[in-house]
Amino acid sequence: MEVIPIKEEADIFLGESNYGKILTQVKRSFAITKKDLKIYYNKGPVVIQGFLFPLILFFAFTVGRKIIPIYIISGLMAMVLFMTSTSIGPVVFPWETRAKTLERLIACPISIKTILLGNIWSSFIFGCIFSMVPLLLGVIFFGFWMSINILIIILGILVASLAFSSFSLILSVPPTDTPASTMILTILIKFPILLLTPLFMPINAAPYGIISPLTYFTDIINVGLGENSVFGPYGLLLDFCILIMFGFVFLSLAFVLHSKTLQKRFRG
Amino acid sequence: MNAIVVRDLSKHFIPSKKERRKGKNKNQQIKQKKYNKNAIVRAVDHIDFEVKSGEIFGFLGPNGAGKTTTIRMLTGILKPTNGDILIFGQNFWNNPIKAKQIMGHVPEEANVYMDLTGLENLSFIGELYGIPKKVRISRAEQLLKRFELFEKRHLKSKKYSKGMKQRLLLCMALMSNPKILFLDEPTSGLDVQSSIIIKKLIKDYNKNGMTIFMTTHDMDVANEMCDRIAIINKGKIIGLDTPENLKKLKQEYQAIDFYFTEEIKENELENLNSVKEVKKIRDYYHIIVHDLNDGICEIIEYIKSRHLKVKKINTYEPHLEEVFLKMVNGGDTD
Repeated sequence: MEVIPIKEEADIFLGESNYGKILTQVKRSFAITKKDLKIYYNKGPVVIQGFLFPLILFFAFTVGRKIIPIYIISGLMAMVLFMTSTSIGPVVFPWETRAKTLERLIACPISIKTILLGNIWSSFIFGCIFSMVPLLLGVIFFGFWMSINILIIILGILVASLAFSSFSLILSVPPTDTPASTMILTILIKFPILLLTPLFMPINAAPYGIISPLTYFTDIINVGLGENSVFGPYGLLLDFCILIMFGFVFLSLAFVLHSKTLQKRFRG
Repeated sequence: MNAIVVRDLSKHFIPSKKERRKGKNKNQQIKQKKYNKNAIVRAVDHIDFEVKSGEIFGFLGPNGAGKTTTIRMLTGILKPTNGDILIFGQNFWNNPIKAKQIMGHVPEEANVYMDLTGLENLSFIGELYGIPKKVRISRAEQLLKRFELFEKRHLKSKKYSKGMKQRLLLCMALMSNPKILFLDEPTSGLDVQSSIIIKKLIKDYNKNGMTIFMTTHDMDVANEMCDRIAIINKGKIIGLDTPENLKKLKQEYQAIDFYFTEEIKENELENLNSVKEVKKIRDYYHIIVHDLNDGICEIIEYIKSRHLKVKKINTYEPHLEEVFLKMVNGGDTD
């Protein structure tokens, strides 16, 4: 078989516009997304954090309490979205560091931001798909199809899923090759956020909930299911703005911190 | 034209607290035994070299010498502490993504995605290099056939043997049709079949114009394949030349082993001009000569004049491994 002839040297360093460079990197990040979805969806920590924890917590929060259907669905959606969109992100980096596949990725013509973006997309898709399950249950069992504003709900899921996916990558910043280490950190940070959020109850019943980004997503879903926002007439806008702000901060932090710790993963 | 130019390249690490506690890297120039934030490990220390376009360049060194750190810097995995890397005249760090686009890399440890099939692994890498779907599938299949993995292309990589994984890694590195291929210990720990396939294909790609930069522990591989070899020790390059020229550094070890049918007088042999030293070892004479050709001619003349009968002759040329040991250990080849 013939060896494929290689490119001319002159072609190698041809210029490309900044827009072209960004578009190329975004396209390549989708390849990482596909890979993550293929490989990591059935890994133990992902299954535990993405499926089992929300299920167990749902029963822990709701059994024996009289809760109105809207709060059941919004609480469940918030919990599932938060847990699933933050389940892949923290384990991918330690896993790939251990398997030495991260080294291969870094040697490819992609930046660390492209890798992070690819990880975020996969968490995002995970979160979006699984948070729709409680909504469907609500439509089937509580007849929400009469009153829901699907546009608000979908927009809320998209924005919140992106924000929490970015957040999940901050949890994998420590340059360890042991997924269990980041799992401990993840649980230590995620559970207080869940406990701070007024899930399965009116938001104004827990005023300290305003420090949790999940509260704003819960409010969006409540509005989408026919309730009024607890933050006043512009509450919905406020919810979106705060979630976008959180997302931006999380994403920037993930980019900066991972760039700083990346080199430490390849020592020894 | 030079494919790679390395100028004053260094990589220094500050050991973590954990490493200092464990005493790890103590052989890598940490003088300070107690906690000291300034205890620097000079993994690579101000090295310079050039790799010509189209050559196979070998990088030899003992464990911890700085081979992998160098290859990691050349492939953009590690950022140098100082120094420049020029790829076809362009500074690597001015546009690392463009530079990486023309490189392929086979790391030392197998790092294919175990949960993906061979074909999926190649397709994934092809996508990261921006190769259109049709092209990458046909190229992947072509490579899998060439590396004798086509039959197992739909098998998950975790079911591959070590040799198959190494071949798959090489396929992954070749997916983008790179101009420069970096190989970190490409034949280390492989079965004979895989090793032969890999060596043959590396040579084929090199004949087609691909520049190969390889690290290896295997002196035979280096001797057989490399156009030039750099020897690195403790982060510094201590020798760089063609294998033949490096061997000349060990000329004093040229020797001939003669097996005679009868006992001969050692002092008569020692009186010959080209002979340096004669040692009787069991049933043969180990004759160290100044020059192999002159030595053989003169000893044969002596044999004829004494009507001696010879059972067997072995010539003993300097071996690259001895040159390596001499350079690394400062002369002690034992």
